[in-house]
Amino acid sequence: MRRLWFVILFAAGVVLFPAAGSAILYIDINSPGGRRMPIALPSFITVAGDPALAADIPKVLAADLGMTALFEVIPSEAYLEKVLPAHFAGKPLSFPDWKLIGAEAVVIGRVEARGDQVTVEMRLYDSTLGKLMAGRRYSGPARHYRLIGHKFANEVLYAFTGVRGIFDTEIAFSARPGKGRSKEVYVVGLDGQDPRPVTNNRSFNLFPRWSPDGNTLAYTSFRTGVPVVYLRNLRDGKERALVKFGNTKSPGCFSQGGESLYVSVSVNGNSDIYRVRVSDGAVEKAVEGWGIEVSPSLSPDGKKIAFVSNRSGSPQVYVRDLAASSGERRISHAGGYSSSPSWSPVGDRIAFTSQSAGNFSLYTVNADGSDQRLLASGDGDCTDPSYSPDGRYVVYSFQKKGYSELRIISADGRSGKRLYSGFSDAGSPAWSPRR
Amino acid sequence: MGKWRAWKYCAVILGVMMIFAFGCAKKQAVKSTDTAATESAPSSVSAVEKAPEGVVSETLKPEASAAETMSSRPAGTQMASAAEAAAGVSATEEKSSLFQDIHFDFDKSLIRDDAKPILASVSDYLKKNQGVKLLVEGHCDERGTSEYNMALGDRRAESARKYLVSLGVPAAVLSTVSFGEEKPLDPGHNEEAWAKNRRAHFVAK
Repeated sequence: MRRLWFVILFAAGVVLFPAAGSAILYIDINSPGGRRMPIALPSFITVAGDPALAADIPKVLAADLGMTALFEVIPSEAYLEKVLPAHFAGKPLSFPDWKLIGAEAVVIGRVEARGDQVTVEMRLYDSTLGKLMAGRRYSGPARHYRLIGHKFANEVLYAFTGVRGIFDTEIAFSARPGKGRSKEVYVVGLDGQDPRPVTNNRSFNLFPRWSPDGNTLAYTSFRTGVPVVYLRNLRDGKERALVKFGNTKSPGCFSQGGESLYVSVSVNGNSDIYRVRVSDGAVEKAVEGWGIEVSPSLSPDGKKIAFVSNRSGSPQVYVRDLAASSGERRISHAGGYSSSPSWSPVGDRIAFTSQSAGNFSLYTVNADGSDQRLLASGDGDCTDPSYSPDGRYVVYSFQKKGYSELRIISADGRSGKRLYSGFSDAGSPAWSPRR
Repeated sequence: MGKWRAWKYCAVILGVMMIFAFGCAKKQAVKSTDTAATESAPSSVSAVEKAPEGVVSETLKPEASAAETMSSRPAGTQMASAAEAAAGVSATEEKSSLFQDIHFDFDKSLIRDDAKPILASVSDYLKKNQGVKLLVEGHCDERGTSEYNMALGDRRAESARKYLVSLGVPAAVLSTVSFGEEKPLDPGHNEEAWAKNRRAHFVAK
């Protein structure tokens, strides 16, 4: 009896403990449209190396924080105090000078680059209290300077909201790099700068999907002349073929633990959804029907799957309980052609694309088909939504008469931005998991 | 044991546990700053002084350059043979055909009446020229989603294949591939271009 109590209390202590240190919340992240926190991002100090980094990293922070619609960056012309190296060696900032221009928070930083290595120290102060809210010193390859900015943007968001940011996540997509027809897979950060190629084989490379640990991309390639699903490890560049059976194949999503890949494969002209074990390629059927079944997207608990089927005569989005032997519910009621569901990693919302009045628009809907809402539309086609790992944003493809760009919109549809527009036919964006 | 005594007993343990938890937390926080500060000074970065209190250090691990190239691939990558790589590039190119394309309605894979004479001529040719193998390519227009179109193109190719088999072409000489919306014949963005791009294309092998 006593021992049992001890075990229960110990468990309670462990569970309760993380809450003990939580900070005061300055911003309620769930009330968008509220007051934005004014923040100052003065240029960083260069101790050694290229001074361009000292200007670029605050820009990364500004773009990230701007995306949240929770912060307002005060223009640098207003700043009264010049940040000095001494501010990193014990000299306090003149907080009244920052308060005077309305800055309730200040980020200062110093950059030290030697060879291809860079060390960046950043500090976030509450200028009302004159208190250090977060301080980090990052060391790593200089080419990762944007990642360093993103990581500290996460710290800033966390300090003021208690919610972890996703600014160091990435988007994989496929696009045509040149005038030829080939499509390659790319990965780009949330600032949309310098997408890096994952494939370069001048064939069709399509439908990139992230493993839950963010280390592997599954994608379809025609690199040998016929479609095969490959797994590419982005850490070491190693790759292997996983799905070779059948004709057409498109990876949809990994299982929660990354043990299996849900993929649509057509066999004798009939496309169904299969679960393929990553370790040995063992195949099980997950969803079947006489029609076209494609585009699987798993619920966060892994128990349900959203997919597209044309069994009603046109493509529509359905949800199936994976444990049940039957019972598939149609959840798209926007009208015509509806496709490419993306299940939010948090909660029960599903985003999908649907055609109305000629163009494709994005909608979100509850997993039971209720409360369908318009998320994004325009004078072109909005397709292929993919939720951010915190469920707060959706990346999608916008195409209009051959022009294409990737866009990000907040999940409530209030604010959006262009992510990337450098390639033609940019599509199938997939948001990485958290880093 | 009385109820009261049990509750008091629990409260004392909870108290002890919380002290223990806070104690641990403090120790851990200090420790992480210290270790991190020493970790942050790799040999390549000199003159990094100890991080001040409240500043946590983190070292970023460089990521392997992930992109393959045609000439050199990262160690461990399964090399496609030169022939395979060429086949991969070739897959993106429009192949000439002895036959006219057959066309489909939007989001449909039914063989239309205007396709039947073309399929009859394909069938006649294959019956007369034994040994010729035919690849049936299925294509879609750019509208709709690319994954769905990949499967729809497959249905179109399969419809054509089945129709040819029904005309007496041996199944063994026919194979199919879908390129979905990836390989438009006409790069335009209007109904005229779309109508041309919703097609099955026949390539003799």
